[in-house]
Amino acid sequence: MNRLKKEDLNRIKEEYGKRKKDWIKVGCSTCGIAAGAQEVFETLCREVKEHHLDIDVKKCGCAGMCYAEPLVEVNVEGMPRVFYGKVTSETADKIIEKHVRGKMLMDDHIYDLKVHQSDGEAGLL
Amino acid sequence: MIKRIFIRDTNSSSVDKARDFCNAFRNQLRERQMDEKVQLIRAADMGVYNQGIVMRILPDDFLYGQVEEKDIPRIIAETVCGGKCVCDLVCHHAAKQCRIVLRNCGAVDPESIEDYIARDGYQALAKVLEQNDPEKVLAELKVSGLRGRGGAGYPTWLKWNLARNVKVNQKYVICNGDEGDPGAYMDRSVLEGDPYSVIEGLTIAGFVTGASKGYFYIRAEYPLAIERVQKALDRAYACGLLGENIFGSTFRFDAEIRLGAGAFVCGEETALIASIEGKRGYPRPRPPYPSTQGLWGKPTVINNVETLANISPILLKGGKWFSGIGTETSKGTKVFAVTGKVKNSGLVEVPMGTSIREIVFDIGGGAGGGKKVKAVQTGGPSGGVIPEDFFNTPVGYENLQKIGSIMGSGGMIVMDESDCMVDIAKFYLRFCVDESCGKCAPCRIGGTQLLNLLEKISDGKGNEEHLPALRRISFAMQKASLCGLGQTAPNPVLSTLNYFEEEYRTHVIEKRCPAKKCGKLFRYSIIQDKCKRCGLCVRNCPSDAISGNREKGYVIDEAKCSRCGLCLETCKPNAILRG
Repeated sequence: MNRLKKEDLNRIKEEYGKRKKDWIKVGCSTCGIAAGAQEVFETLCREVKEHHLDIDVKKCGCAGMCYAEPLVEVNVEGMPRVFYGKVTSETADKIIEKHVRGKMLMDDHIYDLKVHQSDGEAGLL
Repeated sequence: MIKRIFIRDTNSSSVDKARDFCNAFRNQLRERQMDEKVQLIRAADMGVYNQGIVMRILPDDFLYGQVEEKDIPRIIAETVCGGKCVCDLVCHHAAKQCRIVLRNCGAVDPESIEDYIARDGYQALAKVLEQNDPEKVLAELKVSGLRGRGGAGYPTWLKWNLARNVKVNQKYVICNGDEGDPGAYMDRSVLEGDPYSVIEGLTIAGFVTGASKGYFYIRAEYPLAIERVQKALDRAYACGLLGENIFGSTFRFDAEIRLGAGAFVCGEETALIASIEGKRGYPRPRPPYPSTQGLWGKPTVINNVETLANISPILLKGGKWFSGIGTETSKGTKVFAVTGKVKNSGLVEVPMGTSIREIVFDIGGGAGGGKKVKAVQTGGPSGGVIPEDFFNTPVGYENLQKIGSIMGSGGMIVMDESDCMVDIAKFYLRFCVDESCGKCAPCRIGGTQLLNLLEKISDGKGNEEHLPALRRISFAMQKASLCGLGQTAPNPVLSTLNYFEEEYRTHVIEKRCPAKKCGKLFRYSIIQDKCKRCGLCVRNCPSDAISGNREKGYVIDEAKCSRCGLCLETCKPNAILRG
């Protein structure tokens, strides 16, 4: 990558803003990994590939709800952003099958949801 | 648009009513042929506790509490069909978290600099370098009222200013990531989840103080944090955000990681400096403070991870915005690692001034298993215990000091009625005795003596004279120890002694441990009348302390028993007696 200038910051930000893609984030900090996040991440990647889905699977840090790790946040257009907690590979399979492909939320696994983009972020962004 | 209704039984009773409620709701929807338009979801957590059946309705975003089956027709008619709120059911969501430090944790890919930039990353550094006016940054930080998040709470701008005013050619900035308090892991999460924000904060600190070199001092027990910070540093170098001519300015800044080898005392700034210099991690008396004479004798600013993560939001949104959050003397937010006997352990970021009760009960969900919360321990081995009577205290540097504890770096360990305060004091003291560097006598000898006394008390060999002795030694340690470790090591003893003296007395006079934790003050036995001779206890006993057979029944050998309590937990007919 080239050396960044101030203008580049705004350009990168804009490019990100234009992206309207669905994504899945897996909490992969120590707390998540200790609870089995790596396996969940791999399962999600495999399923997405198998079904040729147009969705990003990303690793991210700890969202704070360590008691519910491994935590998977799913953002699919037209649906609320939700956090699935205590996810196993089986639940990960179901997330792809029901939530991503079937557009239905799953029972008994949702630990939090974000209705507004800035929920609890002290007006940042 | 399809309505989505999240339902959860938030009462902590053994029967979960959510399933029945959902079925009733679904049937009523079906009767009105509306089941296609509404999806009912049983949630696993709603962030609301002890409010009966709670439902959240999207996209309207109504939150109802204490809902009963008789309310279903109203909800269907008014909210589902009419889109209106049923006002008398509305449940007010109490304490809200406020994320400044953790703004990106869980939101960005910690290994992607683009992710960070997309969320306003490096905008603050670009602005600072463009304006090229360190005084302005200091002024902004002064307005913000930001104080060090490592525990001591020294104003950040003042620390930076002291180092800035020394005129020498070489200065240093250090990020203190040597987080050693038992149960605290805020810094680890920030370094793992959002390393760039800390790097940006450190770079700005370097620019303001005039330092061209920064160190990340991270404990070696955090391999993932080290890996991610290293990757982030490499990437920042590749993007020209570290090294020469950052953002086209003349400013040069280099940063590297130094590993802490596992000594708790190295979180103390002078010991930390010694450790980076390659010496033994010994603290030295202050002054001179590191701001004037630190690493290799040069002016050095040492900031906690959380402090540095606060810098760029303050510079972007202004010091005024930041000082609008929090209390009179403690501004902004604080991250707490809430652990121990609490339902939802995890990281919590709340505005200063939030009460302990809100943190433990509204966000943490209270103690699990129907038990009563007894106290919280804040500030790790340097802090104290806060009993439930003081839970309305708003968190802040001074407020917690007043009630005999400290905010510290932000560990908050919740204890319930099954925790013994003598045992807690013993645990923290043993930690400090292990970690004492041994340089000064009050800490080395005093700590060991305190621990001996506590061990006597919990073994049932204590007497009443031991209690004033505990106070006396503690006082001597506080007054005469060389560094913070020794000065604060007796705090857990003193605060438990102040608030729970009755419990200590029960130990020394009645030789009894009310919480049934001190192993030598109670024993397990089998009530033969209740025993069903199933043998489950024998199979589960890890120390082979139970003997006997199905015909004759079983007995526990007190000498072999390790008091783990597994037999009590596994016994179905409740035939194990603890007393």
